[in-house]
Amino acid sequence: MVDKKVLEDEIREIISDVSGYDLEDIKPETNLINELEIDSIKAIEITVAIEKKYKISVRDEDVPKIVTLNDAVELVHGMLNHKEN
Amino acid sequence: MKKSANEYDAIIIGAGIGGLVCGCYLAKAGMKVLIAEQHNKPGGYCTSFKRGEFTFDAAAHSFGGMRFGPLGKIFNELKIKEKINIYHCDPSDIIITPDLQVSFYSDINNTIKNFQEAFPNENYNIERFFNFLINSEKNISISIRKSNFSQILDSFFSSSKIKSVLSFPIFGNSGLPPSKLSAFLGLKLFKEFLLDGGYYPEGGMQNLANALVEIFKENGGELLLSSKVNKIICDGKNALGIRLLNNEQVSSKYVISNCDMRQTYLKLLGKEFIDKTFLNTIKKMSPSLSVFIIYVGLKEPFYGNYFEPGSNIWYLFDYNLDKNYFNSKKGFFNDINNLMMHIFPDRKSVTFFINASFKNKMYWTENKKVIMNLLLDKIEKLSIENISDNIKFKEAATPYTLFKYTSNYKGASFGWAGITSQLVLPGFIKNTFIDGLFMTGHWTTHGFGIPGVTYIGYETAQKIIKNFKR
Repeated sequence: MVDKKVLEDEIREIISDVSGYDLEDIKPETNLINELEIDSIKAIEITVAIEKKYKISVRDEDVPKIVTLNDAVELVHGMLNHKEN
Repeated sequence: MKKSANEYDAIIIGAGIGGLVCGCYLAKAGMKVLIAEQHNKPGGYCTSFKRGEFTFDAAAHSFGGMRFGPLGKIFNELKIKEKINIYHCDPSDIIITPDLQVSFYSDINNTIKNFQEAFPNENYNIERFFNFLINSEKNISISIRKSNFSQILDSFFSSSKIKSVLSFPIFGNSGLPPSKLSAFLGLKLFKEFLLDGGYYPEGGMQNLANALVEIFKENGGELLLSSKVNKIICDGKNALGIRLLNNEQVSSKYVISNCDMRQTYLKLLGKEFIDKTFLNTIKKMSPSLSVFIIYVGLKEPFYGNYFEPGSNIWYLFDYNLDKNYFNSKKGFFNDINNLMMHIFPDRKSVTFFINASFKNKMYWTENKKVIMNLLLDKIEKLSIENISDNIKFKEAATPYTLFKYTSNYKGASFGWAGITSQLVLPGFIKNTFIDGLFMTGHWTTHGFGIPGVTYIGYETAQKIIKNFKR
């Protein structure tokens, strides 16, 4: 099982790196688009960074569903568990 | 606390445009900043040099992105127009093939009309494609991260000729044919370089670098020229400063490398300090192509309907860009069937660019003149009649020359190759294993050319300022 807390911290790090916002500013429920100014280009950067880190391939239709950090953690968590089983 | 003379908040290695923009922002934020540059002038690929009556830009010869993209906003914030006049050359780019000629104008509607006249069967597709580009912020979809530029063009056009014509200047500005170039980068380049290209600082590209130096210095920054850095000092966890070639040590909280990534990590930092996964990533990556440049000084100035100074004139003699790429990569200069020409405002200084791959110094010592003359013969045969009788001065820069002056790995023109698998590299601006060590410039892969590195310089600075204020 992948620890969700670890995932949350790692993905927060990626979002912070791409957006330039501090780790403390990125709460589980923070809206990435409205509050962190993530535009389409930054969204691509974050998606690619997550795919590279966890060696997964996110389905295109799943990306618009990611509105908050929590959504990203849930998605990656689901995919990694699926991979393990 | 006041810092001693040899102690800085940040040291930037390399005074390329990325390093200078980053330096301006750090200095403006009140940090004490030093930039160390190996060459005797600032600018990296954005320098100019004089030979007798002729002045040439060494590599970068115009830039784009003042209207679209962040470059315009950054230059406004830095008040660069108070230092230099920036011309807008219209048309910015002209493409000439054996059977047609099309131009990119400042007014996009003119560009669309011009393409529609050249390709009447693609009338509607042309309009659709340009509208897609203009609204790409909105239109860009996440699926694009896995596509190449060919796939984008295929979704708009059916004729292979128009696809080659539209991607040829992008090939020149990335070193990759559309079948290999990431769709994301292709669109970005198209928008910044072609829909909004042709900007030129009065007096030459060197003046853009010089203006940034002035702004940097006005904000308290210090620039050391002819000062090669040979070590980044670190304690295994934190960056501590740099050591110059003359053994002088300078300490700082942040070290920002604006030079080539392999050199930064493998040589300046040292393998022992690099995270193993990161090291393997860098070792596996491939750089972009380099370029062979010919500088020509003419006896009689150039005149003619498409010989306007300032435009990038793209000659394509064979529509197959994959073949053109293959010949450049293999160094088959005999078979190269494309080139870019740029005429300077005096109409007498002219440069020619051809994508080329890196070879060692010995190879170029033996072959530079032969290749230069071979290419000039080709230019005379295919595009400019009797140019050889009009040449007063000629000189060439090889990929090795570019390496020598800028230390870019393999003389790469655009950092890492813009292939899909190298699109985004997490940790390339700020790594996770040495605190205080950052990278900026085209080796961080977010962008090419002056618009690309200007944005990266800004981004890097924002990251450091946030960290500094914490």
